Amino acid sequence: MKASEKKAKEISKKAKEKQKTILESLKNHGAKIYEDLENGQFPKFSIPSRSVSNIVYDKKLRQYILGNSSALRSAKNSAQLRSFTQLMWLAFFANRLTQEKKSSTLRDVYYSSQAFAIEFDDQSESDNIIVDLEAVTSRPREDFHIFPEERSSIFGDLNIEYTIPGYEGKTMNLSNHPDGYSIGPSLTTAELIDTSAEIVIAIEKGGLFTRFVEEQVDKKFKSIIINTGGQAPRSTRTLLKRLHDEMGLPVIILTDGDVYGEHIAMVIKSGSANAAHLRELTVPDAKWVGVWATDIEKYKLPTIPMTESDIKRCYDLQKDPRYESGIWKKELEVFLRLKRKAELEAFAKYGLTNITDKYLPQKLELAKSL
Amino acid sequence: MSSIKEKFNQISPSEFFYSNRDLAGFSNPTRSLYTAVREFVENSLDACDQKGILPDVYLTIKAVEPDKPDPKPYILTVKDNGPGVDAKHIPLAFGTVLYGSKFGLKQARGVFGLGATMAILYGQITTNKPVLVKSCADGQTQNQFEILLDIQKNKPVIVKHNTKEASKKGLSVSICLEGDYSKAGNKIRDYVYETSLITPYATITFDDPKGQKFHHPRFVKDMPSPPTIVRPHPHGVDVERIRRMIVESQFEIPAIDDTMIEKVRKDLGLSKQNLSFTAIMTKAKKKWKNLSRQVRVVIALLSFLKMDFEKLSKIRIEDLDVPNKKLHYWDFGDSQSKTVDMDPESQYYKQLTNTVQGEPLTTFLTKRFQRIGPTTAVKFAEFAGFKPEKRMGTLTNQELVNLSDSLQKFEDFMTPDSSCLAPLGESPLEKGIQKFFNPDFKAVVQRLASAYSGFPFIVEMGIAYGGDIKSGGPHVYRYANRIPLLYDEGSDVVLKVVNDTDWGRYKVKGDPPFIIVSHICSTRIPYKTAGKENVADRQEIERELRLALQFLSRKLAAFMSKRGQAEMAKKRANLYAKYIPMIAEFCTELAGKKKEPNYKKILEELEPVEVKTETKQVEEEKPIESK
Repeated sequence: MKASEKKAKEISKKAKEKQKTILESLKNHGAKIYEDLENGQFPKFSIPSRSVSNIVYDKKLRQYILGNSSALRSAKNSAQLRSFTQLMWLAFFANRLTQEKKSSTLRDVYYSSQAFAIEFDDQSESDNIIVDLEAVTSRPREDFHIFPEERSSIFGDLNIEYTIPGYEGKTMNLSNHPDGYSIGPSLTTAELIDTSAEIVIAIEKGGLFTRFVEEQVDKKFKSIIINTGGQAPRSTRTLLKRLHDEMGLPVIILTDGDVYGEHIAMVIKSGSANAAHLRELTVPDAKWVGVWATDIEKYKLPTIPMTESDIKRCYDLQKDPRYESGIWKKELEVFLRLKRKAELEAFAKYGLTNITDKYLPQKLELAKSL
Repeated sequence: MSSIKEKFNQISPSEFFYSNRDLAGFSNPTRSLYTAVREFVENSLDACDQKGILPDVYLTIKAVEPDKPDPKPYILTVKDNGPGVDAKHIPLAFGTVLYGSKFGLKQARGVFGLGATMAILYGQITTNKPVLVKSCADGQTQNQFEILLDIQKNKPVIVKHNTKEASKKGLSVSICLEGDYSKAGNKIRDYVYETSLITPYATITFDDPKGQKFHHPRFVKDMPSPPTIVRPHPHGVDVERIRRMIVESQFEIPAIDDTMIEKVRKDLGLSKQNLSFTAIMTKAKKKWKNLSRQVRVVIALLSFLKMDFEKLSKIRIEDLDVPNKKLHYWDFGDSQSKTVDMDPESQYYKQLTNTVQGEPLTTFLTKRFQRIGPTTAVKFAEFAGFKPEKRMGTLTNQELVNLSDSLQKFEDFMTPDSSCLAPLGESPLEKGIQKFFNPDFKAVVQRLASAYSGFPFIVEMGIAYGGDIKSGGPHVYRYANRIPLLYDEGSDVVLKVVNDTDWGRYKVKGDPPFIIVSHICSTRIPYKTAGKENVADRQEIERELRLALQFLSRKLAAFMSKRGQAEMAKKRANLYAKYIPMIAEFCTELAGKKKEPNYKKILEELEPVEVKTETKQVEEEKPIESK
């Protein structure tokens, strides 16, 4: 256990260092504002522009990033004064959260503001300011202990060590509870110690996640199973990235056989335009293995017709540079040709375990060649 | 032609007005009381204006029996410090319905006599009481008259007359009339109030029947320069007017009676001498230049009759037949009608025809109208198809109508002379607005003179915002020839122009505290009704009103946007005062400092700037427009 003790020390040192950089960054920003005020000047800072024209696709990084244009936020501009103050408050609030290692949801932030006479008209306004803070610091909100409400879950042989207050040093194996573990602040900030798994399977739906656990997909295929719960939340994407980067695990993605499923996979792989200001959230090597449009025909899956908004979404995605080649392009075209879609559950037509017995092995095999 | 004048005088104007009193604003006790007040106050102001006296007008209304319910008899008294009326004119001025001066044109509140006598007439028919006139015209003696009107004969009946010593000039007129003050009171008080705004050089006091006193002292010491009397503009006359002008320009052959012969002898210096016909003519030729028109006519007749004075006294001229060049007369001696031929080559013939047939057209135009020179007169004659030397007295009815039409159509006449107008002026108007409303913003403009149908007019306008002005504007104060117009505003051209304006464009929104003062001056205001309460929408007037309003509205818009900016600056300052301390608080903790930064410096820089109201106005250059 000496080695693992050493590792644990390293881990806590790493976590502390990360916290220190975050606090340092916030302090630097605060100091600059303080200095401006002290000098009788209106405080100002620049913030990368998040307007559509400044969101560009970086082929090297294989994700959307913000371009070079940035906007100046000044307290002198009365139109910006309110949002300026809101952002200052948020930085102040995030600073406290980080120092005290307390976590908060987006909604908590919205309500906490009221204790400081900071008015947010609604939560979307406060959410927007949180994105501003992310853009200014180039850090995801989770770094400041701000988390979204939605939870996804994880199951598999993975040992972790908590870093959150009260649990520091405590370890956990994520295959102990068959319902899986919800991916929240404590899991996202936990250190990943070791695993016997060789692959991460991200799956769109809770129902299938349960089936995979029941069918012992984790053991049969030496995998960690993650339920993304639809579009994967940031914390889940962060965890996926860490599993890939830190543990060296390949990531495959299983979604419904429709255009939204395809895009869920794409966001895990290369991010969303909404989070173009962040770079820690993507798993460029992740592979989408199904359900493909071509699978619908190949496996003769029961289908439902695409709605008008499904079709519109296809055309929208065709304009995205990431869909200009490969299976992404091909599958979109097939969806548009079929005008039909199929859910993961459609495999139940051939028996409840068909998906884990037949389809999954074939796809895992296929993934090696992708 | 001469018969026309007689015919007109035979109608009793009193009787006409008696049966048409609604037209003049005496339709009911409420309206009548208000109209009577107006007529007397306006007469007083007009009289003072004409003599350049700063008016002090004292109006009193008292109920005869205060406890009786309305309508009931009231005693209305208007006293002024004007020139007074000569004692010998009083009975005629207040005891008959008169024609005012017809051919002279100038701006005045009313044609003197008409409305006031109408009020007297109304008082008399409702209460059967005489009018009491106290006048002092010489500063020494006051004449007091009690006069009744004989309606059918249009003649004054003097009930009482006495004199007493006085020290000041002035006129006081008191009538008893049936009125309804409980209903008319508001309008009368408004009238007095609004009159004092447009007559800032007058002190007006009103004692109302309920014992309240409304005192409006003058706040401007200078009177606007009085208008001059001008001749009519050719576009401003109609057939009837031309007919009367022709009558004025003609002379009748004087009756050759003993008095006339005596006068001729005297003028020739022959009172004591009985000269022969030839000797008389020789004498007359020598003295011709100094002879009066009448005497010349007699001499001219004599030249054809070839008589001495003795003979002349025994005949009567019957007719002067110009086309046949014959002179008919009755000889009392022979008791028979006789005829002599007239030599058209004789200079005396011309004298006679001139007298009977009136002036040539060109002379008529240049002498009787404003701003027509000989060249224009000749051009016009050609345009109208008349010979320039056409005698005015020889026009047939049809020719008269043609002439009238042509006068309207001919476009080369100059624009009407505006010297007959007396606008209030920008500065007094602005002072009035300042005093009455104490506004945050005010602007006034006087447009250059323009004309409609041959009548010159000037539009003056003022606009004010904020201060003591009530919200719910624009409140429009309408004036015409310094008279406030209070009734029937819905159909007025000023209201039309105001209502057509999209105030949002001028940054005036919501329920603005905002007034507009509009003053139209003209020798003839085109009232829609005889009650003189609303101005008709003549295109030319509407245009001037619109331009004036647009000019002022642009000023208002500039003010509003400045004011908006100031409000904005204030709001912004408040924003900074609220947020900067918060920013300071948050960044202090973020930066890990103990003491808050000194942000006061920033806030001090942000003191809002006060808006100054601009008061100086510059009218844009604009040429006088032709019709």
